[in-house]
Amino acid sequence: MKQFNQSGVFIANLDPESDMNMGEIDKNDTRQVYDFLNENMKYALYTDGFIVSIPNEYDMEVSFAYLNEEYYSTSKQFELSQGRKLEFDYTLDKDEDIEIPVLIGKGLSKTYPIGSIIKVEDPAIQKQVNYRVSGILKPNVKHSNLYSLNSKQYYNFSVVIPVNKEFINSSNVGLQLQGLFDVIVVQASESSINELKDIISTNLGLKFNFYTQDENFEYYNDFYIGSLKLIGVLTALICIVLTCVAVWSSLASIRLMIKDFTINLFVGLGYNKLRMICYGYYGILSFINVIVLFIITACSRYGTWHRKDAQFSTYGIFGVIGMDWLALLAVVIFDAVIVGIIVEIMMWKIKKVPISLGVLQ
Amino acid sequence: MTKIIDIDIKEKVYKSKNSNLSLLNDFRLEVNTGEKIAIVGKSGAGKTTLLNILGLLDRNYVGSYSLFGLNTNEMNLKMFAKLRNQRIGFVLQESALINSLTIEENIKLPFLYAKYKEKSDVNDFDTVIDDIGIKSIIKKKPLECSGGEKSRAVFARAIMMKPQVILCDEPTASLDGENKERIIALLSKMNSENNTTIITVTHDLEVANTHDRIIRLERRM
Repeated sequence: MKQFNQSGVFIANLDPESDMNMGEIDKNDTRQVYDFLNENMKYALYTDGFIVSIPNEYDMEVSFAYLNEEYYSTSKQFELSQGRKLEFDYTLDKDEDIEIPVLIGKGLSKTYPIGSIIKVEDPAIQKQVNYRVSGILKPNVKHSNLYSLNSKQYYNFSVVIPVNKEFINSSNVGLQLQGLFDVIVVQASESSINELKDIISTNLGLKFNFYTQDENFEYYNDFYIGSLKLIGVLTALICIVLTCVAVWSSLASIRLMIKDFTINLFVGLGYNKLRMICYGYYGILSFINVIVLFIITACSRYGTWHRKDAQFSTYGIFGVIGMDWLALLAVVIFDAVIVGIIVEIMMWKIKKVPISLGVLQ
Repeated sequence: MTKIIDIDIKEKVYKSKNSNLSLLNDFRLEVNTGEKIAIVGKSGAGKTTLLNILGLLDRNYVGSYSLFGLNTNEMNLKMFAKLRNQRIGFVLQESALINSLTIEENIKLPFLYAKYKEKSDVNDFDTVIDDIGIKSIIKKKPLECSGGEKSRAVFARAIMMKPQVILCDEPTASLDGENKERIIALLSKMNSENNTTIITVTHDLEVANTHDRIIRLERRM
């Protein structure tokens, strides 16, 4: 995302107040906007979500993602595990079969190895196209919406299609309009952006906002980080209360079991051993907690494979990915801190009661 | 005769909010291996406190204590725990059993804290329960047993690790005549067969009279 966080970069966003009737917009209208863009501006275009049924090992619905050269070269998110980068120098103006090099996600790589052809009627240009696999993306390559940074879509079952001006001109109004919704204008001035807004308003009847990525961050922070902070504070409060309850119940247990502790101390139990036993016990509880969380996470991730939800299916142990492992690591650290607090308070309390024959009398 | 215990307590103070209670002032005791010592005295004289100190349960006193020829002031808590496990047996009142465990589990409790090597030179469980006559109750929980049976189970636990010193705290306090005789006989048998040193805190003069020496503790006001 930081590649787009530069001065002169503006990211389109349909104003939520703007009325839209797709039926009233035709290709001629969008063409006017693209003509302006092509003549006056440098822009990065990306759009996805065009679902196509093509045979694959996992019977997933495959998503087509379209992007232009500016987006591809700037975003740097399409890391390859095999093959070559995308090429944008092709033409659709041929009588014979059209062949376009594409990148595919790891989930399609067995069915479509490098060099193989995916023959399909493209939903954007509605023509029979031969998509030749030129590269395979690394597992779990993802895309986040520029103004909703928490959103993530994975390319494991996507076909990434390079689009040039000719492709855009040949495509239907759906791709052209969707492309505009997220279009990123680079090296632009405020006045040229205002001019673009007018062109869009005149031809499409839509009100667009163009924000810098900094403004998108602010928007994100206002609506998302604020909520996250609230959730964080509530979670911390709940954790503190639960820790206090756990400590209280442990201390109550000690009061009830002081005779048993004392008898064990008589026959050779030392405080170090007792501390180890307590850490072992609470360690097992924490381990069970982490395992349960892992199972819930794995079920959630694996569920996307089960539901054939191509955009969210991920690779990992049961689909569990790096960010999940980090979250589980955070849980382990947090558990370790709580266990440490509980055990040390318990030991302090136990040591406060002197071992004595008097306890048994 | 080898000296097994040599203790010289200058002072033991119990601190409370309002006052300090001083016990066992200038108390000295030497015990030889195989001796049987009875400690008697009125309540509050410090009998149990003395037993706590002798049993390495309490180190908060002014003085010196040599046990098995080792200076206890130079030992850490881990060493204390090890000696309690390996070389000291506690014969306590019948209530000193864990109610959630069976009699067998209670008797074998010291094994939990002994290392593998240390378990080799211990009494055989079956022999002990046969000798003591509690074979029929080993699968029972303490609450299902009589006072006499529980006292014998506590005794069995105390001797499982073949201790060199047995510390008894009112071992016959709640027992009837027959069971009292049994416990006294068992202690005498341990003493005569294994040369085990026995120190008993008791109110019962009949029990005290079965020992080689009687030490009377007085409460100093």
